[in-house]
Amino acid sequence: MAEASAGGGAPPETSLSIALSRRAGVRPWWRTPTARRWVFGYTLLAPAVLYVGLLVGVPFLFSLYLSMSDASVGDPVARFVGIENFKAALESSTFYVALRNTLVFTVGAGILKGLLGTTLAFLLIQQFRGRKIVRALVVIPFTLPIAIAVLGWKWMFDSQFSVLNWALNQLHLIGAYGSPDWPVWLGQPGLALASVMFVNVWRGFPFGAIVLMAGMTSVAPEIIEAAKVDGASFMQRFRMVIVPMIAPILFIGSAFDTVFTLSDLSIVYLLTNGGPDGATEILPTLAYNTGIRGGALGRGAAISLFLFPLLLPAMILLLRTLRRRQY
Amino acid sequence: MATMAVQAPRTHRSKEIRRHALIYLGLTPFLIIAVFPIFWMLITALKQEPDLYRMDIVPFWFHLPPTWKNFDFLFNRTFYGDWIVNTMAISFWVSVITLFTAVPAGYALARLRLPFAENMGIGIFMTYLVPGIILFLPLARVVSLLDLQDSWWSLVAIYPTFTIPFCTWLLMGFFKTVPFEIEEAAMIDGCGQLGALLRVVLPVSWPGLITSCIFSFTLSMQDFLYSLAFVSVSDQKPVPLGVATELIRGDVYFWGSLMAGALLVGVPVAILYNLFLDKFISGITGAAIK
Repeated sequence: MAEASAGGGAPPETSLSIALSRRAGVRPWWRTPTARRWVFGYTLLAPAVLYVGLLVGVPFLFSLYLSMSDASVGDPVARFVGIENFKAALESSTFYVALRNTLVFTVGAGILKGLLGTTLAFLLIQQFRGRKIVRALVVIPFTLPIAIAVLGWKWMFDSQFSVLNWALNQLHLIGAYGSPDWPVWLGQPGLALASVMFVNVWRGFPFGAIVLMAGMTSVAPEIIEAAKVDGASFMQRFRMVIVPMIAPILFIGSAFDTVFTLSDLSIVYLLTNGGPDGATEILPTLAYNTGIRGGALGRGAAISLFLFPLLLPAMILLLRTLRRRQY
Repeated sequence: MATMAVQAPRTHRSKEIRRHALIYLGLTPFLIIAVFPIFWMLITALKQEPDLYRMDIVPFWFHLPPTWKNFDFLFNRTFYGDWIVNTMAISFWVSVITLFTAVPAGYALARLRLPFAENMGIGIFMTYLVPGIILFLPLARVVSLLDLQDSWWSLVAIYPTFTIPFCTWLLMGFFKTVPFEIEEAAMIDGCGQLGALLRVVLPVSWPGLITSCIFSFTLSMQDFLYSLAFVSVSDQKPVPLGVATELIRGDVYFWGSLMAGALLVGVPVAILYNLFLDKFISGITGAAIK
């Protein structure tokens, strides 16, 4: 812990404080170097803590309050309505569709990102020519501002002039435009959900790969060598040495990715805005459309709070991983 | 493997070649899927309108000469210029706020052996994970309370909620690597604690400070939700929001200028982010490596 060393080493302070302490016999606690360092330290911390406290902590509590009120955009005077908003959400079928889509989206895309990210990471840790440039190109989806990337996909998923359809049509994998075999990516329920998931995977797999690479390169080769000398087989080395060592990083990476995926509005909002017919409605779009477009702040806040229990496991996982690193 | 090479060096070499070929083969699909959208956006941005809507010809190249018309349209017929200015101004002020709060906080947490420093650091970092989708409705109230609705200043106020946690965490790791001795030397030379921070620690920490500014910029550019929720006046929007909402009339998408506007800002951001990506990864996984 940090305190262990905190009291240590009463350093040569200013002559004034020494003189004072001599006269008084005991130096008052607030004049001790430790106390002064603490005051200085907490003063330095204060702006950041206040900013984050006021604009994250307070709004979070305020959203709890909002969710239990009938606040709306037009009417600033809110009435306390208890769990009415939550009940209303649980009674509407749209909510269940959104919840189901959110889960399918997050879990399905998560698995795909894991598979693709791992494959890519194993390819990228090999030694080969042009590795740096390949890496720089392959992470583009993650580094491009998300709204901008999604616009590109929107054009590629165009109902008529989709370049994907053109290519698939040339390969005779799909029918002609206008025929039932011509996929309208964002216009058919099943395809629309697959498309928004695809864009999420496209954006997330490079992140998975580089997080995994960071983990793999942090395993010192000497340790693996040592395990080899001790007679561990490849599978044993993998299970007993590599996996436990990269596990914390993997947890952190997947926790981040889960939070980003669960709370991301832009992909669905820009591609389909929940359509067609609610097929891609997820909790973020539902919360946005209810709270901002519909003006029902309380309803919207209640819906967005349903995300919290979904986010919690990821956050707890992260917290525990970070805490364990204390030394 | 059927190859029976006569000479040992050649075997080695052909093995190397085969290994490379396999790796490239494995990487090709990833590369195509990662880069193709950029290529497609670029060529769309440079095509003439009639060239975009043809289904009978290969779409991957120009059939009419390339044109700057889409860029022209952006700057002369839309608020694109304003959006760029807004984006720059937002990034500037967010960086300033972030530096003035995250630098002292990171320093205090890393160096001053405060009680609960580690836990407070983790606490601040965890706020980075409280997603906008939970906060945007109450923050909408905050924004209207501050009378900032429909102005890009609302984003200046809100973006530090995620840049401060991230940069504090980043700088905390950074300050830990600055040797204690130089600070001690400064204090022996008569600097106070604050003097040592300002005159000795900060000047050697400029890479950390620049990194913080870069992330204030790139992380701000990743936002869509807050700008969508708080800014609806055309000339106040940042680029991603402006491009996504203003270049559409009803059902008609101006694909050429949409892609032009998206790339003009997206590519520089992607390059910048790319250069600092390792810092981002070690920032978020920071505690887990080592």
